[in-house]
Amino acid sequence: MTTEVSPPLPLPNELTTPFWDGAANGQLVIQSCNACGHLQHAPEPICSACLSFDLGSAAVSGKGTVYTFCIPTQAFHPYFADKLPFVLAVVELDDQPGLKMITNIVDVDPDSVRVGDRVEVTFNPLGEGFMLPVFRPISQ
Amino acid sequence: MSKKNRVAIVGVGYSDVSRGTGYSLDKLTAQASVAAMDDAGIKPVDIDGVVVHSFPHQFVSSTHTAAMLGIPDLAFYSGNVDGAAYSVAAMHAIAAIESGSAETVLTLRTVHKDGAAGGAAMLAGGGGKGIPGNMQFSMPYGSFTGSHWAGMYMTRHMAKYGSTEEDFGSFAIAQRKFAVANPTESFFHEELTMEDYLNSRYIAKPLHLLDCDYPVDSSSALIFTTEERARDMKQKPVFFDSWANGTTKEADFSLVGEMTHSSPFMAADRMWSRTSLKPSDVDTAGLYDGFSFIAMQWFEALGFCGEGEAGSFVRSGATSATGSLPTNTDGGACNVGRRHGANFFIEVTRQLRGTAGDRALPKKPEVGVVSNAVGGFAACALLTAD
Repeated sequence: MTTEVSPPLPLPNELTTPFWDGAANGQLVIQSCNACGHLQHAPEPICSACLSFDLGSAAVSGKGTVYTFCIPTQAFHPYFADKLPFVLAVVELDDQPGLKMITNIVDVDPDSVRVGDRVEVTFNPLGEGFMLPVFRPISQ
Repeated sequence: MSKKNRVAIVGVGYSDVSRGTGYSLDKLTAQASVAAMDDAGIKPVDIDGVVVHSFPHQFVSSTHTAAMLGIPDLAFYSGNVDGAAYSVAAMHAIAAIESGSAETVLTLRTVHKDGAAGGAAMLAGGGGKGIPGNMQFSMPYGSFTGSHWAGMYMTRHMAKYGSTEEDFGSFAIAQRKFAVANPTESFFHEELTMEDYLNSRYIAKPLHLLDCDYPVDSSSALIFTTEERARDMKQKPVFFDSWANGTTKEADFSLVGEMTHSSPFMAADRMWSRTSLKPSDVDTAGLYDGFSFIAMQWFEALGFCGEGEAGSFVRSGATSATGSLPTNTDGGACNVGRRHGANFFIEVTRQLRGTAGDRALPKKPEVGVVSNAVGGFAACALLTAD
């Protein structure tokens, strides 16, 4: 069996395109409110902090802390069957308290990851030109 | 708390339940409805409200359910796909009866076995069109099912409080004892050891297979009515003393502000603010166990133990038949199969009205608590015997 299984690819829309375009250019881009500066992820049509509809996006530092994680050992999509085990994580970004995203921790032994680990963004090819922002430990 | 209309549970029932009934969602729904009407001793003409909660991709219509059952006219109906599973149906029905919008309401939760995994796989799967909406920020990372956020909730609790896999295992072991005593409903008939638990395979480490509810085809039905009407029905009524929903500011389960202090805390605080009862008054509990950590969070949220202390609470034997808070006395959804919360309302009702048969608790309970869900949304209620 050498059949290539397609990855689960995003279907970018008006709100999510900046994230995927940013990733393709090697930047972690998060929705940013033009009125109050609030960052929110995932993007929404309205700023939950000030109710402005005037929303843009901003490249953020790409540094953060592992808030939590798990190590999937069963594939619920065929694309992940040969990628087990991997680290599925929530990372809290340095750029705003409580600003978190779902991601993967890569370039690491899964069992060595700890809550509180310092991590930085890197980009893995997902397929069809999409780059996926993931995180790796910041070497001390 | 005083109410315009005190709401009673007067009938409970299940469909046939198995790993593969081959029955449609509608047939399961109809079976459970008939069982609950039989239990209450009423007929379709006595019902003027129907509320159904279902998955969006396994939708069950409330108006179609009424038509199937020959209910002539509905004063209140709602078909929900949002929020805390069965308890959403329950809360809508309670609100309808308290407000006088309806008198006797049939509430339902119907699910096919592949409901929880099937939806995500379906959305991410074919068509080649890609993942719509905000799921494009989770699925490409391999986050597809509840087991993924559940594993992350467990890790967070372990890191924050020093809890262990054995803590979660202690809950699986404790509720399996009840399951063994419920052979007609449980799918599992042998007690568990800690070794069994730890040797069960990981789904999303630290989450083990034995932390997960058991996927089945099922429909569960409960009938609620006013205190006045309840007096004329077949069963002893069980009453809602208080109830509450709660949500977090963030809708995404993986992105809630603090995983160890999620919506069960909001719901529990609100519920306790609406009653004169206290945690020490509660004699039995039915706490949602879609994953075992969820029931553990409810022990902490409801104030039966301190935050971070659920493991030692369970290990003390408090949740056993002879403990201070016998919990999930039917065996829980990990053992009787996925009923998405309804089984706890049904089992606590059976214990409070004295129809639990061989499983009747050694000390007849007067007050019970039930709960549903975790993370972004949750609900709980206090039930009292007549």
